[in-house]
Amino acid sequence: MATSAVARDVVFALRQKIAKIEGTLAERLVSPADGQPVAGLLVRRNGQASARDFFLPTGVERLDEVLGGGLPKAALTEIHGSETRNAGAAAGLALSLVSGMLKQRSRSSDLVLWVGTTEMFREAGLPYAPGLASFFGIPAESLLLAEAPKAADVLWIAEEAARIEEIAAVVVELRGNPRIVDLTATRRLHRRAQDSGRPVLLLRQSAEPEPTAAPVRLVVSPAPATLRQTLLGPLAGSIAAPAFAVEIGKSRTALPGSFILEWNLDARTLAERSPENRIAVVSPSRGRTHPPAQAGAVLAFKPAAVEAAGDQPPREQHPAHRRPRRTG
Amino acid sequence: MISHRENNTQRIAGLDARAEALRLKPGMGIAEARAMHPDIDVVEADPEADRRLLEGLADWCDRYTPLVAIDGENGLFLDISGCAHLFGGEKALLADLMARFFHQGFDVRAGLASTPGAAWATARFATGQILAPGNERKFLARLPLSALRIDARTKASLESVGLRSVGAIMDGPRAPLVRRFGAELIERLDQALGRLEEAISPRLPVAPLSVERHLADPLSLIDDIERLIGLLAATLKVDLERREEGARALELLLFRVDGMVSRITVGASRPIREPVLVRRLFHERLAALGETIDAGYGFDLVRLSALSTARFDARQADLAGEVVEDGGEELAIFADRISARLGEAAVLEAIPVESHLPERAASARPYAQEEARKDGAERPARAAQQATRRLRLPDRPIRLFRQPEPIDVPATEIPDGPPLNFRWRRALHRVARAEGPERIAPEWWRQAADAPTRDYYRIEDAEGRRYWLYRQGLYNAQAVPRWFLHGVFA
Repeated sequence: MATSAVARDVVFALRQKIAKIEGTLAERLVSPADGQPVAGLLVRRNGQASARDFFLPTGVERLDEVLGGGLPKAALTEIHGSETRNAGAAAGLALSLVSGMLKQRSRSSDLVLWVGTTEMFREAGLPYAPGLASFFGIPAESLLLAEAPKAADVLWIAEEAARIEEIAAVVVELRGNPRIVDLTATRRLHRRAQDSGRPVLLLRQSAEPEPTAAPVRLVVSPAPATLRQTLLGPLAGSIAAPAFAVEIGKSRTALPGSFILEWNLDARTLAERSPENRIAVVSPSRGRTHPPAQAGAVLAFKPAAVEAAGDQPPREQHPAHRRPRRTG
Repeated sequence: MISHRENNTQRIAGLDARAEALRLKPGMGIAEARAMHPDIDVVEADPEADRRLLEGLADWCDRYTPLVAIDGENGLFLDISGCAHLFGGEKALLADLMARFFHQGFDVRAGLASTPGAAWATARFATGQILAPGNERKFLARLPLSALRIDARTKASLESVGLRSVGAIMDGPRAPLVRRFGAELIERLDQALGRLEEAISPRLPVAPLSVERHLADPLSLIDDIERLIGLLAATLKVDLERREEGARALELLLFRVDGMVSRITVGASRPIREPVLVRRLFHERLAALGETIDAGYGFDLVRLSALSTARFDARQADLAGEVVEDGGEELAIFADRISARLGEAAVLEAIPVESHLPERAASARPYAQEEARKDGAERPARAAQQATRRLRLPDRPIRLFRQPEPIDVPATEIPDGPPLNFRWRRALHRVARAEGPERIAPEWWRQAADAPTRDYYRIEDAEGRRYWLYRQGLYNAQAVPRWFLHGVFA
C-alpha cells in the first residue's frame, strides 16, 4: 500500500501541474492525504488567482462545496430551463448570480447586458426593469437590453459585449436548440469570458442538454415559494421570496446534487431552503389540535427510496462509491 | 405607347417617335388608335413607377449638387449655384449631364438659366442652351404661353383674347391682367424674369459636411469601398476638427455607373471623427447589407457626408501620447456597431418613467450617450432615486410580456377573487396560491375616464411557477371581464 500511496501523490502532483498549464480545473482534485477536496486550488492561465476573483459567489455553502468552490467566474455557464414557461425561474437564478456579483463589485457604472432573440422575448417576456430593481436590486440604469432576430446575431453581440470593460456580466438567452449554438460557438463565448474575466451566462429555455464548451450547466425548475412570515406566524396562501430547484446538470469538477435555493429579498443573497421553513405539504389544521405525529410509520418501500430530495445527507458524507455494500 | 384611364376610356398618355410618325396624338382613345393601326403596342401607365424612377434620377443628380427638387411629374430642378466650377464650368456640366443621361438611355431636355422659371422654359423650348443672365426677357418674349408654367385654363382664356406669346403679356398693363386672370400669371412671369425670388425646395436636407471622390475606374469590391471610406473619413476629420465637432450620423452615397444610387446611413451614440471608427461602423453596416448592395458595373462616385454633427470635446493626451479614456467610449462604439448592423433598436436601455401603469413604467429607448450624463446635472435626481430605492418597492414581475396575453379563466371562487385555474397557451394551470388584488387604475389624464381598471394578482401554480395576472374591469350585469397574463415572476 505504501508504494501506491506514493504513486497517488505523484499522480496528484502531476494533475495539479497539468491543470495549471491548461488553465482549467481539469477535474475535481482530491488530495490523497486526507481524501478531502483541495481547498483554494485555483488555476488560471496567467498564474494563480484569488478565490474572490475566480468564483462567482452563489452564497450557498453546500452548492459551492459541491461545485468545488463555486461557479467559475471567468467562464461560460449554462443555465437550462426545461420549458419556456419556466423562463421566470431560469432568469431568476441568473439574476440572483448577477446581483451577487454586482454587489461585490464596487463600481457603480457596471452594466448588465441581457441579449436574446426576438422569439425568446416574445415568448417569455422582456426583462422588466422595475421587477429587477424590486427583487434583485439591479437598478434600471445598469440594465442594457439587446435583441436580434437570429441566434447567430445574438451570439455575435454576446461575443462583442464580453470584452467591454463596463459590462460586468452578459446574459445570453436562447430558446430551443438552434444548430448554430454548437461546441465552436460556445467555445468562442467561453474563451471571451476567460480572457475578460467576466462571466457569460447562457440561458437556454426549453432546450435539450447538448455538448457545449461551458464547464458548468445548471438545470433550473421552479419551486414553490415559502409563506410570508408575520408576527403571528406564516401567512396562509401568501407567496414570499422566489425559490428555484437547481440541479447540477454537468460539471467536470462537481459532484451531482440538487438543491432548493431561495432568494433572500432583504439580504439579496441565495440560500438553501432550510428544513424549518419548508412548506407543509398538507396545510395544518386550524382550530383543532394537531393530529398526533405518527412515529415509525409503516411504509412499503425500502429505506433508501423513502428519502426525499431535501432529506438527503450531504453527499460527501456518504459518497456512493464508498458506501458500505449492503450484504444481506 | 402608354395608355391611361380617364373618364372610363383608355386614352393615349404618351407615345414614342415612331407612334408619333403614325399621326397618333396624346389624348386620343386607344380604341380609335387601334382601329387606325392594329399592331401598336399599348402599355398601361404606372404613375408610381414613374415617380420612383424620377426619384432615382433625382438621387443620381445629387452628384452635381445637393439641392435637387422634383418638379411635377417629369421634371427636376437642380440648383447648381457654386457647383459649376467643380465640373469645369456651366457648359461642361450641362454637357456632362446630358451625355450621362443619354448613355443611361434617357432622352432628356435640359436648360440652364439664372431663374428657375427661365430654366424651365429653356429646357422645354431650347434644350441644351445656357441662358446668360439678363437675357431672360428677350428669350421669353418669343415663346408661347406654355413656357410660363401656368395652368391650361388660364392659358386657354389668354389665347381666346389673342394673347398668344409671353411677349404679348410682358408688355401689357399688369393690373387688368391680374384682375382678369389671377395673380398667378404675373407671379410666374416675375419669377421667370427674376423680379421675384423663387426658391426650389430640395428633396433632402443638405448635409453640413460632405466629402466625395470621383473615380476614373469604378469600384465594385466591398473591401475597396471600405478602404475608400477610411480615406474620405480622414478628409472629413479635418473639416470636423476645424468646426470642433464630431459626427452623430453619417451617410455614404454610392453612385453606380448606370445611375443607381445607394444610400447607407449609420448613427453614432456619441460624436465621432476618427476615420478608424467611421470605417468600422460602415464595415458592420455593409456586412449586414451584404448581398443587397448590387455593385453592378461598379461605383464611380463615392460620397461621405456628416448628416448631423455635435460638439466634440477633445481630450488631452498624456506624455506617452495615449489619450486618457473617460470610460464609456468602448461601450459607445460597441453599441454603435451593433445598431449599425442590426438596426437602431438593437441595443436598448431601460428608462424608468413616472407612471403606475406597468407597461409604461419602464420604457426602452435606443442606447445613446448624452452629454448630460457626464456632468453632474443628473446627480440630484439619482440621489433621489437612491432614497426611494431604500423603500420597499412593489412586487413587480421580472419579465413582462409586450402585450398582455389573454387567458381563459373558467371560474373564480368569489366574483372579485383570483381564479381557481386558468388556461394559458392551451395549457391548464391550477392555482395553488394567490396574492392580491392590487388595483391599478388607468391614467385618467391620458386615457378615457371610463377605461376599465385592472386587478392584479400574484399567482403561484401547482408546479411553483409564479405569474402576474389581471382582470380587466369588474364583474357586472352587462359583461364578464376578461383576464390577462401580464408577466412572470422569478
